[in-house]
Amino acid sequence: MKTQSAINTYVKEIGGWAASQLEACTRCGLCADACHFYQATGNPEYTPVWKTEPLRRAYEQRFTIAGRLKLAVGLDKPVTDEDLKHWSTIVYEACTLCNKCAMVCPMGIQLGPLIHDVRSGMAAAGVVPGDLVAATMKQKDVGSPLGVTDKTWAERMEWIGDEWEVKIPMDVQSADTLVVFTSIELMKFPDNIAAIAKIMDKAGEKWTTSSKGREVVNFGYFEADEELTKLFLSRVFDAAKELGVKRIMISECGHAYDAFRWTAANIMDMPKNVAITHIAQVMHDFWKAGRIRLKKGAYDDGTVTFHDSCKIQRRGGIIKEPREILKWLAPSSFKEMTPNKEQALCCGGGGGVISIQEADPLRFAVFGMKVDQMKEIGAKSVCMVCSNCRLQFTEGVAHFGSDVKVRGLSEMVSQALE
Amino acid sequence: MTEKTVYEHWRESGLSRRDFMKFCGLLSGMMGLEFLPPVKAFGAVAGPDPAGLVAEALTSKPRLPLIWLELQDCAGCTEAISRSQSPSLVNLVLNKIAVDYQETLMSAAGFQAEAAMRGTMEKYKGQYVLVVEGSPSVDANGVYCTIGGRSNLNILREAAAGAAAIIATGNCAAFGGIPKAKPNPTGARGVGEIITDKPIVNIPGCPAIPEVTTGTIAHFLVMGALPKTDSLKRPLTFYGHAIHDHCLRRPFYDAGKYAGAFDDSGARAGHCLYKLGCKGPTTYNACASLKWEQGLSYPVQSGHPCLGCSEPNFWDGGGFYVGQSAPLERPTVAAVGIAAGAGVALGAALAGTNAARKRKAEKAETAGPKESSE
Amino acid sequence: MDWTEILQFFRGSFFKISLLVFVGGMTYRLVRILLLGWPRDRVKSRGSKATGVVKTYLKGLLVLPFIPWVKRTFNKNALTYIAGGLFHLSLVLVIFFATPHMLVWKSLLGFGWPTLSFPVSDWLAAIGIIALIVLLINRLTHPVLKLLTRSPLWLNWTLVFLPFVTGYAMTHHMLFRYEVLFGLHMITVDVLLIWIPLGRISHFLFYFFSRTIHGAQAGKRAVTP
Repeated sequence: MKTQSAINTYVKEIGGWAASQLEACTRCGLCADACHFYQATGNPEYTPVWKTEPLRRAYEQRFTIAGRLKLAVGLDKPVTDEDLKHWSTIVYEACTLCNKCAMVCPMGIQLGPLIHDVRSGMAAAGVVPGDLVAATMKQKDVGSPLGVTDKTWAERMEWIGDEWEVKIPMDVQSADTLVVFTSIELMKFPDNIAAIAKIMDKAGEKWTTSSKGREVVNFGYFEADEELTKLFLSRVFDAAKELGVKRIMISECGHAYDAFRWTAANIMDMPKNVAITHIAQVMHDFWKAGRIRLKKGAYDDGTVTFHDSCKIQRRGGIIKEPREILKWLAPSSFKEMTPNKEQALCCGGGGGVISIQEADPLRFAVFGMKVDQMKEIGAKSVCMVCSNCRLQFTEGVAHFGSDVKVRGLSEMVSQALE
Repeated sequence: MTEKTVYEHWRESGLSRRDFMKFCGLLSGMMGLEFLPPVKAFGAVAGPDPAGLVAEALTSKPRLPLIWLELQDCAGCTEAISRSQSPSLVNLVLNKIAVDYQETLMSAAGFQAEAAMRGTMEKYKGQYVLVVEGSPSVDANGVYCTIGGRSNLNILREAAAGAAAIIATGNCAAFGGIPKAKPNPTGARGVGEIITDKPIVNIPGCPAIPEVTTGTIAHFLVMGALPKTDSLKRPLTFYGHAIHDHCLRRPFYDAGKYAGAFDDSGARAGHCLYKLGCKGPTTYNACASLKWEQGLSYPVQSGHPCLGCSEPNFWDGGGFYVGQSAPLERPTVAAVGIAAGAGVALGAALAGTNAARKRKAEKAETAGPKESSE
Repeated sequence: MDWTEILQFFRGSFFKISLLVFVGGMTYRLVRILLLGWPRDRVKSRGSKATGVVKTYLKGLLVLPFIPWVKRTFNKNALTYIAGGLFHLSLVLVIFFATPHMLVWKSLLGFGWPTLSFPVSDWLAAIGIIALIVLLINRLTHPVLKLLTRSPLWLNWTLVFLPFVTGYAMTHHMLFRYEVLFGLHMITVDVLLIWIPLGRISHFLFYFFSRTIHGAQAGKRAVTP
């Protein structure tokens, strides 16, 4: 029975970490206004703590005396098949796991990770939106959620190298850095790949890509299916071990950084002595160390702002690095949106939401808030270090008929290389 | 043979009618007669003159036969009465209006005294007032308090059988008093718990305010009945207000100015004694209004917190110098430890079942979650 | 039954029992959570977890109570923030720094401390009562709160509200005799003590778990919590 599978998953996964936080909630409801989905729609079911309801029920009704009593006398409801379906829609389509809610909660409850746990039960029960499942299966079978095969990947990389006249090393043994790109960049923002290649070369970095560990995106992580998450991670880890690199650099992707840097070590064995880093950090380090030089004021052509990606800034800590670069590149035109940094507003496309067609109205409703943010400061362009955000922004500004230019920061940096 | 009236006795001892009327006024004031509803009703018929009412009663009624028993007592209530300063009201009431058997005060002793008591009880059967001081003791058939070889319970029951009314004076007689304090080794009780078939009034206090005891006795003489009482059978006239309600330090309580220690600046400035353990708010007595020693002072006025001595179980009331708000019973460190231990044990037990549940769920999931059916 | 006897029972043996149930119950809750399994975090930190923890506690104690609008959601929820904050302030200050309560602690712990003046603690109690009423109305009308609130929460509110009003009535000698109000106050306090380990009021214990976790995860990532 599906629901039992979900409940079993919750039961085996809930430890003191989740339980103490589930117990800490006082039902104050303040998390609602932190959630961009609630802000955009006013639907109380998008209150973050309500999203964790199946998890709470499973926990209380099995692990606590009070919970068991409440269930027995009818003061609480069990988790049913209908509940699972209902909540599946909520946690996959009306949540990007941006974790803004945790910042607002007076108790500091990590609602994002808890909602991720809710998803894991859904995944075990097979109650996941079809579009997301399809993309995950593609990644499992073919190696990429967009269905990019090994052949297409190789061809595309070759084309990028030719078109932008950059060298993209592949499967180089004993390189220092393994760079892993996303299919989104490959298919939608190839200029990004070229830009990153240029930066790495200019900095004189011994780097490589891998034909086997070629996809940094992790749809198993979106689904919260631990086995698939580990599978997709291991493809890159195996490549890193095989090539003997010292570090893995995530290209412009958010959740991949979260999965590799902040999750992998706790769910599997990572290759020894292989660090995880992100292009946003690396290019900043190159620049600070003088390995690349950037033209000051290269982008002073209209107000430019920076969009903080939830998994890289709020959940990753790489906050001041992009800003330092931008302030150099656009000293008189860089303006912050409000709110920003770890308090920033999510773009609405993360967490797999962008891949679910049914969720389109929701993610555009949320994006309307980003449009307002940019209008407020009169931004002419916006840049970021996550391709998922970039895709959401690209589709979003088109949807709203906005003329704000959407850029990747790596692309801007590569153009300003001296 | 008709008994002489009080007034007749009065005149015979050489006191003038003027003195008599003054006495009646004092007595009526002391009894709070003008405030009692029955008096008001009576006044409607006989005129709004309480002093006159008293005079009328004492002029027409014979002296009251009164027996004063002392059981498990310290004689403090008697001492309080007998040591009143002036040739007082108290003295007059006891000497002039009541014939008594009083172990401490009467000069007779031994078999003579017992014979006197027996005589009164037979002669005035059904008419005399029984005043009891000190608590009865019930354990081991009352053997812990015997007088002349008889148990206090026998003496009390026998005396009560022929009494018209019982006045239990002092906290011991009213509620058990100090003998009843933990662990109550003699099985002390209030008189009202032993004698349940006679009208009884409690005059608690440690000691009882002398004027309250004698005022109540006088009330019985004048009105022919016991005064109106509260739920603890204490006369409302005297026990209708808490010390707190009439306390001279009340403004300091309301302003939150407390003495922190004896003889500190607050104490010297006359601040409220709440923090020093004053039980004024829950203690009903006339100390703050009638006061002691004919209105001279009362404990709080003199700088000592109220002990709550007119309330039941005041000896076990948490501690004389412990705040009135404090709990009466505190768990020992050992008890807290045991409670915590029980919590740990229960938590560990739950942890055991929870861990088992987790293992079961883990097995169920790895066994092929999508195929398993329930 | 006389109110003096009722009062003595609920101040005496029943209070002792309530306190022991409270201790046992909270211990049980704590132990149950501690023994549920806390796997080690094997992820390498970018920043310092300890710094994050310290920062988040300091922020909650020294910054947010005074400039709550630092949290951007404040404007949308000013009522909850202000009423909730005032209620908690009143609760803590009255329980520990009102003179009658300090005397209770003194009898339990063996030492006392300076207290607030009566008018101050009186006003705080009144503010607490008003805040509770405001919070109740909010919970009855706000769509998010209506969705989230299940029956035990109404009991939580009631069992916290009753000691406040009985205590306030007691101090002001309202309506009934002092020992009646004192008795009611002690009954409601005893019942509250027994109820706390059974529900969400024990969040004051789990606050330390969630806050520390929050600070640690932020510190680990070198983000301001």
